[in-house]
Amino acid sequence: MITPNHVLDAKGLACPMPVVKTKKMMKDVEPGLVLEIQATDKGSTADLQAWAKSTGHEYLGTETEGGVLRHFLRKGGADAASETVVIPEISLEDFKEKVENGEHMTVLDVRELEEYQEGHIDGAIHIPLGEVEQRSGELKKDDLIYVICHSGRRSELAAQTMSKQGFKQLINVVPGMRDWTGKTVK
Amino acid sequence: MTGKTAIIAANGGLFDAYKVYNIATAAAASDQEVAIFFTFEGLNLIHKEAYQQLPMPEGKEYFAEGFKKSNVPSIPELAAMAKEMGVTFIGCQMTMDVMGLEKDAFIDGIEVGGAVTFLEFAKDADVTLTF
Repeated sequence: MITPNHVLDAKGLACPMPVVKTKKMMKDVEPGLVLEIQATDKGSTADLQAWAKSTGHEYLGTETEGGVLRHFLRKGGADAASETVVIPEISLEDFKEKVENGEHMTVLDVRELEEYQEGHIDGAIHIPLGEVEQRSGELKKDDLIYVICHSGRRSELAAQTMSKQGFKQLINVVPGMRDWTGKTVK
Repeated sequence: MTGKTAIIAANGGLFDAYKVYNIATAAAASDQEVAIFFTFEGLNLIHKEAYQQLPMPEGKEYFAEGFKKSNVPSIPELAAMAKEMGVTFIGCQMTMDVMGLEKDAFIDGIEVGGAVTFLEFAKDADVTLTF
């Protein structure tokens, strides 16, 4: 399960209210944090996906629980336009080769806990994107760090954050665990 | 703002009102700049008294129960929400003159203008709709 930072109760509301309420609530959410929207409007799944796409947020998924739809959205980066640095990327194939050659490397997995628990690369350090800013001290700023997530988007954001904190050698693995065919551990 | 949505509201029934206000609030919630031009019977949708009791199409009165059951917001609620989200309401001056209505017969915060006022907004709109 994804751990939300904020929860919006939009149960019992008809279109367009779930989207309107989400829009209002999202204003107070910090970039990178997760908003859970609880709704009973069956159209809200498609609506919130489209809404997230057009407003620059990330749709993480929907869980259904006894007629209640729980949608998870991650707020898009507010200062994405300002001060972005170019994070070098490595393709999943090249990265896989390095892993399989047993190269000494630091791998940082920034997905949510549940995603990580479903399967990750052996030895990967886990810090979900929302906690990267506070917990990056667990890593060394001079180390070569490969940052990975599901599709390459969250790892990019995480690397941006860490780059501003003074990490010198960050490499974003693209796309990410979504297409990973190598070994994983649980 | 990621785009502009221009809407013409030319009919005054309850269904017309929902189409107009649902699209307008959804567009505003998606960071669109939205303007609605209310003309002819569409003026009912912003008339202080009329918009509280807009008629169902004849023979469709049984929908009233469905509206209640689905917890659909009322038209005054939707109009207030649209206003709050920055939707521009333009009442058609010519229609108001024809019907002998003054600006104070309408909800607060509307602009009154002619066709050109709307066209000026709509000329570079990404979405233009007529209801």
